[in-house]
Amino acid sequence: MEEQSSLVETLAKVVEQLKLVNDKLDLIVKSNTELIQIFETSNESSSHPQADVMTLLKLPASLRRTAMALYKFQRATADDIAKVTGNLRAVESSFANQLVRMGYVKKKREGRTMYFSIEPELEAKK
Amino acid sequence: MKTISIHSSRGGTGKTEIATNLACVLASRGFNVALLDVDFRAPSMVIIFSKALNSPVKYWLNDFLNGRCKEVQVLIDISNYYNLKGKLQVGLANPSVEAIQNMMLKSQAWEAVAVKKLFSLLSSLNSDMGIDYCIFDTSPGVQYSSVNALACSDVCVIVMNSDLVDLIGTKNMLKDIFDILDKKTVIILNKFSPENRIIPNEENDLVSKTEEILKHPVISKIPCYCDVLQAERMALLAIQQPDHPFIKKLEEVADKIDGL
Repeated sequence: MEEQSSLVETLAKVVEQLKLVNDKLDLIVKSNTELIQIFETSNESSSHPQADVMTLLKLPASLRRTAMALYKFQRATADDIAKVTGNLRAVESSFANQLVRMGYVKKKREGRTMYFSIEPELEAKK
Repeated sequence: MKTISIHSSRGGTGKTEIATNLACVLASRGFNVALLDVDFRAPSMVIIFSKALNSPVKYWLNDFLNGRCKEVQVLIDISNYYNLKGKLQVGLANPSVEAIQNMMLKSQAWEAVAVKKLFSLLSSLNSDMGIDYCIFDTSPGVQYSSVNALACSDVCVIVMNSDLVDLIGTKNMLKDIFDILDKKTVIILNKFSPENRIIPNEENDLVSKTEEILKHPVISKIPCYCDVLQAERMALLAIQQPDHPFIKKLEEVADKIDGL
C-alpha cells in the first residue's frame, strides 16, 4: 500500500515536470516563430538575407551578439565565439546554427570541427 | 588598441573639430593614432589635413571598402608634418561628388561587406601596424557608414550641443542604435554657454539633467569659444595652441576615455 502511494507521488512529480517542459517547448516555438517573422520582414526586398548592421539591430540581443562576434573572424568555431561573448560553447553553437537557418551565417565542417562565417554576397553591382 | 567613434544626432555639433584635435592630443602623448573619416556624405578631413599631405591621395577609404586596395595602403602618415611624438595616420574619405553619390547608392549587401571590411581594417591596425587608438569621425544621424563604425567601436562618444532639439535627437538615437549595440557610450556637451537650459525656463544643472534624460555619462562640458569657431579649420588648435582651454578640455576627455 505504501509502495503504491509512493509510486503515485513520484508519478505526480513526473507529470508536473513534464508540464514545465511542455511550457518551455511552447516558449521556444513562440520565440522561433517571432524570429522567422523578423527574418522575413528584414529580407523581403532581397533574394539573399544580408547580415548588415541595420538588419542585425532588429535581431534579439543574443543572436545579435553572436553575429557581431562572427564579424571579427574570417571563420570561427562555436568555441571562438563563446570566448568573445562570454556564453557557453553549446549556447553559441545553438545561436550560430539559428543564424545559419535564418540565412545570415554559413557553416562548413572540416573534419570534426564546424566553422561558422558571415560571407555577404554582393548581388547588386552598385 | 582602443577604437573610438565620434558621433552626433545632427551636423554642426563640433564632431570633426573634436575628432581631429583629440587625435593630435593622443599622438602628442606618444600614442600611435589612426584617424578615419567615415563621413562619406560630407568628407572634410582631406581639407583639414591638406597642408600635411605631400602628394595627391592615392587610395581613399572608399577604395578600401570597394575592395580596390589593402588595409595598409589606405593610411597616410602625417606625423612628420606636425612633429608629433607618436604617429598620426589618416584614412580619408573621397570628397568628389561622384564618390559621394556612389557611396549614397550602396546596397544592403554592400553594407554587409563594408562592416566586415571595417573589422578587418581594425584587426590590421591593431596587429600589423601597432596602432594604439583608432578614431572614427562619422556622419551625423543614422547613416549606414556611421552605424557600421559604431558597431566596430569600443567606445562611442556623442557630441551634442545643449539644446532641446539635439537632446531629443540624441535620446532617440541612443534608444534605437547605441543601446541595442550595447556600446560604452559617453557624451560631450560642446559649445556650451552658461545661459543654456536643456528645458526652457527651468533652472537646473545642465550636466545632471542631460545624464538623467539620456542615462549616459557626460564626460565633458566644453564652453563655446569664439576663437575656436572663427579659427581656420586647417589650423589644428592642438598643434598651434596646445595650451588653449579647448585643448585642455580634450586632454581631460582623452584621460576619461582611456579609463573606460
